Amino acid sequence: MTRSVYPGSYSRPTLRRLITPRGLEGASPATTAVSYGVVVVACLVTIGPFFYLLSSSLKPDASLFQYPPVWIPSHLYWGNYAHLLFHTEFLRWVANTFLVAGVVTCAKVLFDSMAGYAFAKMRFPFRNALFVVVLMTLMIPFSAILIPLFFIVRDLHLLNTYWALILPPLANPIGIFMMRTFIEGLPSDLENAARLDGASEFAIYWRLILPLVKPGLVVLAVFTFLIQYTSFLWPLVAVSSTNLEVVTVGLAGQSSISQVDYGIYSAGALMALVPITLVFLFLQRFFIAGSLAGALKQ
Amino acid sequence: MFFTIFLLVPVGLVIYDSFESGGLIGAHHFVGFKNWTNVWSQALAIESLKNTFVYALMVIPTVFVIGMILALFLRNVKRGGPALRALLYVPALAPVAVAALIWIFLVNPDFGGFNLALSTVGISGQNWLGSSSLALPTIASLEVWRGIGFWTLYFFASLLGLPRELYQAAALDGAGPIRRFFRLTLPLLRPTLLFAAVFATVYALQVFDSVYVLTDGAPGNATATVVLYIYNALLNFNELGLGAVMSVILLGVTLALTLAMMRLLRNRRVGAP
Repeated sequence: MTRSVYPGSYSRPTLRRLITPRGLEGASPATTAVSYGVVVVACLVTIGPFFYLLSSSLKPDASLFQYPPVWIPSHLYWGNYAHLLFHTEFLRWVANTFLVAGVVTCAKVLFDSMAGYAFAKMRFPFRNALFVVVLMTLMIPFSAILIPLFFIVRDLHLLNTYWALILPPLANPIGIFMMRTFIEGLPSDLENAARLDGASEFAIYWRLILPLVKPGLVVLAVFTFLIQYTSFLWPLVAVSSTNLEVVTVGLAGQSSISQVDYGIYSAGALMALVPITLVFLFLQRFFIAGSLAGALKQ
Repeated sequence: MFFTIFLLVPVGLVIYDSFESGGLIGAHHFVGFKNWTNVWSQALAIESLKNTFVYALMVIPTVFVIGMILALFLRNVKRGGPALRALLYVPALAPVAVAALIWIFLVNPDFGGFNLALSTVGISGQNWLGSSSLALPTIASLEVWRGIGFWTLYFFASLLGLPRELYQAAALDGAGPIRRFFRLTLPLLRPTLLFAAVFATVYALQVFDSVYVLTDGAPGNATATVVLYIYNALLNFNELGLGAVMSVILLGVTLALTLAMMRLLRNRRVGAP
């Protein structure tokens, strides 16, 4: 039985065995206790601000200034959430984010796996030269091409449309690179056998390769979605009407509209974090597999 | 193809733009190297470059040292490890713009968490974003918070990939844990660390979201950064040429760093026994 080499394909117990340290039975109880202490303190630091946010979002603005501060308000105040949901475009922004991130993710998973398959398994003229071009574009920081990109999108008359948000991110080449690495790890025997049986290249890609790299596709999808969800600069520049804004830009824009309204801020920030955290919790295995793959590649 | 329109053509254009005058509206004129000479006499441009590099220098060493220390401790955490790792990682999920909203709270001089923490140890509160010496470190603190979990898990995974036999041999030779770390772990991780450092630098040089939300470059130019400059050149100053010059500088620095890294990594592989 062939087994592909990337961590995403490992079963849960195998993965756990891989990432659980062995040979450290020698760690004394004292060392273990100190380690737990340090890690737990670090977790408090990383999680603390979220609790602060949650606590602030459930208080009316006036009681924010109370001293000493109340971590758990005795009376939960839902006004901030109500205001956010019914008096701002918040839901619209979330919908926009999901629309844009969803379309970008689907398109990238499809195109990048095709391109990755082509670069990994097919022979065609200038293949290596083209791949070098892909690698070079990998190094271009997005913000450095902000100005010309703005004009290109303007001249295509796409500013202030969903297309402006969707098209430019599709050119990010990292996915092609990832998919090529994943697909290269697959044994060529299977596809050669299929080719002998007269399967077309597309059939090989669609029926054979795609199912085999499914974990890789999920890793790519998760990362693409995360990048899209967190993106800020381009959506800020590319659209200016409120009903097209994505959630990051929409929330940040609140500061210029109203006086700093801390309650709204905290409720909005918290609710913007919920979807991405849920995605993370469900697909945590792939996040960790992804970072493990990155590290093992060294 | 797609890349050509949205990546390669822009690179060509941005270099061309850096030789032009004019703004969002109206005609552009070719002005030769005028933008390239003018930019150095502009205080804002110099400050932006300086702040961006200082910011990278504040964030990366801090987050790497903390991340590495946590990763080392994390190896001893077995029961509950996955849950704790998830908790560490969560800030990395927060969009920078949203994290900046949290920071608006934390650094508020009147009720923010930073000053509350200081007051419990008896230090008087600071005006974090209002002070020109504290504003940039405050913005850096946000990225440190976001980065800790990511780099801890990254280093953790790298540590697990190291060959165990070497450690057993070193332990038999009587090398203590600290000696083992500096003599064995760090040299073994050098390629990983090099890659991580370049990746983190390229990312840090593009800092924008947090600055835009928290200070917009204020106080004075204390938190002005390169990408903020590019953004303003495009949408506010009507000085595209200068923005393009800054973009080309950013592009150049990024390419130089990446190529230097690739060269170093390749030499290593060749030089290895």
